[in-house]
Amino acid sequence: MWFLLMLVILLTNGMSAFGLKMIAAWGVPETVKYPYLTVWYASGLAAIALPMLWKGMRFGKTELIWGALAGALSIGGQVAMAVALNRGVPGHVVFPIAIGGSIFVVALAGRLMFGERLSVPTAVGLALGFIAVILVGVS
Amino acid sequence: MGILFSFLGGLSFGLLGTALKAAERRKADAAGLVISAYAWPALLMLVMTLLLKPGGHIPTKVFVIAVIFGICAAVASLAFQVSIGFGKVTVGWLMMNLSAGVPAAVSVWMYHEELTVLKVVALGLVLVSIVFLSWGQVVERRAAAVNPAGGE
Repeated sequence: MWFLLMLVILLTNGMSAFGLKMIAAWGVPETVKYPYLTVWYASGLAAIALPMLWKGMRFGKTELIWGALAGALSIGGQVAMAVALNRGVPGHVVFPIAIGGSIFVVALAGRLMFGERLSVPTAVGLALGFIAVILVGVS
Repeated sequence: MGILFSFLGGLSFGLLGTALKAAERRKADAAGLVISAYAWPALLMLVMTLLLKPGGHIPTKVFVIAVIFGICAAVASLAFQVSIGFGKVTVGWLMMNLSAGVPAAVSVWMYHEELTVLKVVALGLVLVSIVFLSWGQVVERRAAAVNPAGGE
């Protein structure tokens, strides 16, 4: 199950941001960005919500509050990166810092808040992955 | 000052991963959480669309790829949220970020982007990292089977 989920994450999450690159390659005006993102979020919402409603699942306050926090943090991260880019910091500096920083924060929280202990191969994989995502961002 | 915003971006995304794990610990339903996490930005983007560019037209091909990649993102979010129910958030979050290697590889094929040495090394490291993370998962499963109280 874990391996299947990781494969799904790799393929779907990796490609989820590819649309912006395709739009840029098509030469579509910048003004289409917001309608694009509206449809992007709404489609994702519908893809999960419709089967859930069909099954008659209920939606609680916990999901509403934590989901709102997640949404705010996601937008906060995007805005912070956009501000950094607009202030003239090159993308090959902004992306590795933002991505590497987020992995560092989650690893720290995983250890200190959630008591996660890593085996030696996982720790090596984490270190190599950390370097890899920074290099992908730089390249 | 711009660098500071780069770090703030990293902090914000890191807190996002942490909040999702904290929500899982509070028994939040994975699908419900993803719905809520997508509903708020969808609403915000709709408001931005209506306020900034009233009547803005979205070409059909752009609409189609927005639907396809939006569904991809939601499926990834759901898979991540389910995975941290029994796996480590550190590994799940790293995998979410390692996935950046996939569009990098696709871009080389689709847009004939130059395959630099740095890119080859980066993509190679992504693969090696995944092998180690998978090996680690097997090792941790075996350890947990021997000592079920040995930590997450």
